[in-house]
Amino acid sequence: MHLFVQACILGLLTGGVYALMASGLTLAFGIMRVINVAQGALIVLGAFLSYTLFTRFQIDPFVGVFVIAPAMFVLGVCLQLAFLRVLREGEREELSLLVTWAIALGIEGVLSYVYDTTYRSTNTGYANRSWDVGGFLFPEVRVFAFALSIGIIALLYVVLARTRFGRSVRATVQNPVSARLLGVDAARVSAIGFGLSAATAAAAGAVFGIVFSFNPGSHYDLISRLLTIIVLGGLGSLGGAVLAALFMGTAEAVFQVEISPTWSPLTFFVLLIAILLVRPQGLFGVAARGSA
Amino acid sequence: MSQRMFKAVLLLLVIAAIATAVAATASATSRGAGAGPIKIGISLSASGDFSDPGKAAKRGYLLWQSVVNSHGGLLGRQVQLKIVDDASSPNQVVTNYQNLITRDHVDLVFGPFSTLLTAPAARIANRYGYAFVEPSGGGPAVFQEKLPNVFFAQPAPVINCGDPFTKFLLSLPKSQRPKTAAYPSLDDPFSSPIADRMRSQFQAAGVKTVYKTIYPPETTDLTPIVEKVASNHPDMVVAGTQSEDAYAQVKAMVQLKFSPKFLFLSNGASSPTEFPDKVGKKNTTGIFSCGDWFPNSNAPGNNQFIAAYLKKYGGNAYGIDSGSAEAYAVGQIIQAVAKKTGSIDNKTIIKTLHSGTWPTVEGNLSWDRYGSPKGSDLLVEWIGGRLVPVYPPSVALHKPVVPKPGWGR
Repeated sequence: MHLFVQACILGLLTGGVYALMASGLTLAFGIMRVINVAQGALIVLGAFLSYTLFTRFQIDPFVGVFVIAPAMFVLGVCLQLAFLRVLREGEREELSLLVTWAIALGIEGVLSYVYDTTYRSTNTGYANRSWDVGGFLFPEVRVFAFALSIGIIALLYVVLARTRFGRSVRATVQNPVSARLLGVDAARVSAIGFGLSAATAAAAGAVFGIVFSFNPGSHYDLISRLLTIIVLGGLGSLGGAVLAALFMGTAEAVFQVEISPTWSPLTFFVLLIAILLVRPQGLFGVAARGSA
Repeated sequence: MSQRMFKAVLLLLVIAAIATAVAATASATSRGAGAGPIKIGISLSASGDFSDPGKAAKRGYLLWQSVVNSHGGLLGRQVQLKIVDDASSPNQVVTNYQNLITRDHVDLVFGPFSTLLTAPAARIANRYGYAFVEPSGGGPAVFQEKLPNVFFAQPAPVINCGDPFTKFLLSLPKSQRPKTAAYPSLDDPFSSPIADRMRSQFQAAGVKTVYKTIYPPETTDLTPIVEKVASNHPDMVVAGTQSEDAYAQVKAMVQLKFSPKFLFLSNGASSPTEFPDKVGKKNTTGIFSCGDWFPNSNAPGNNQFIAAYLKKYGGNAYGIDSGSAEAYAVGQIIQAVAKKTGSIDNKTIIKTLHSGTWPTVEGNLSWDRYGSPKGSDLLVEWIGGRLVPVYPPSVALHKPVVPKPGWGR
């Protein structure tokens, strides 16, 4: 039982990190109907920037977030204006796959050139420390990462639910044409939305870099997990992404210790298929009109 | 299909097969006769799982190229390396060697990094009659191919790499030996056979297996697996690792405050720079790994190799990755054959290497008929922030430190 509870703790903490990573992805899809497969590469970029701030200027990754998140917000806006705004509405979902894949490869290429392909890890003084609470271990870095993830997701939720910009976003998500007719500047909302998505990638990258080793090619594995999470949670649903990430983290950890690491990835996909058979729109997704 | 049509297709297939065979023979035997530079094709991993060790191998190959060229080249011809990226993919490595041989018409090919990529690459080289001297594909999967063109440029097949550790532990008084062991291993043809072999040796000696598992390469978070290992309280952990997973296992052990009395990692921990960088220098003490090369070795050409390496890349001798020495040894072997036979013809190389002993920085090497080396590896241990050979006593520079001190000491 101790092993099971400890696995749940570790899984939940890791799931929190994945929740932050997936939040930007689901946001971009919700606002713009863009499947941003560059999100993994943006996270890895965030990890490298955070690593550089830490190794060159001794800036703690959790402090460095306040530097790299605004920088990547600007990068996100620029990427949206340069590559995604030009996509025609009817073809946006399909073409965004190709365009963002090209962005991902571009980011990987630049990172490989600048940083080489060596695995890196942001080794802070507390990277390997743990708190012992009633015999259960809480790795400090994962607790901090989890707290930061929850904090940023909560902030994102407040922005979407309580601000004028958030209302514009939700209006654009629900019905872009009507939103435009009511005076919402959809192009501006999309650019800011993509910027926000990149900013969450920066924060996620900072924590990813402390928890795991990474190199420029790490985005391939990341994006496959993140896409699975947002499909399970329901495309465009922030709450769904958070829940799915926590579920994935916990399921993976529990299956690793209780059954076998070999079966762990498969088990998750089996559960994903089972849930999608019952709810094709994912846990919190909205079924398309006219669909069964 | 009509009978006439069937005959036509059959005829075409026969012609295609003959043409391929003729082309293969021609491509293998015609090389080496030219007057320009000698072109050598190599596939290495610049990205993906093997990018770290791939980089070390690249340094070794490039170093050998500059050393041999500064001494007048090979048979009076300059050496030109064509190194292409395989992204750590067994499919890409096949395409790469196919292209290097049939499109780029290289004179020779050298091996990539890791057993996973070497086995399919060696098949391609064999198909075209190329000698395949390779630095790091030493897992059983390579020798099980039974290819006559393969020569593994290390002292021992990697499946035996844990033997010095087993011998050392079983040489200890019974009261000091581990009583229980856990074996978490990466699903990889290099890593898991090492752990499997060590497990059967330890089991035969009475060391009880309390846990064993194989994790897939895409496992990013190894903390739950290490937690499972820790929950079984083994005295010893023998992990079949590659690189990133070795770092992740140690980090997880530190976080979970689990420090086994004996810890052996097959690979990853043998990297003198990357390993302490990832897990923290203070957390390395007492960790064992297997080694095929070390700076103080008196192997042929080792001093020249170290001097040239430090001149070209800087740093200190203890920071040289054995992967660079392995790649350098590949070049030394070809150089020795050229010197002995006056030829770099692939048939000659294959025939020549099947007899005799060949001096390299990895020691004096000789092989069985399928390229498996006949020597033995060393046991290395992290002591005082350095990787030191500790067993067998004939080459040890320090007594093994056992049991492993706690983390951060």
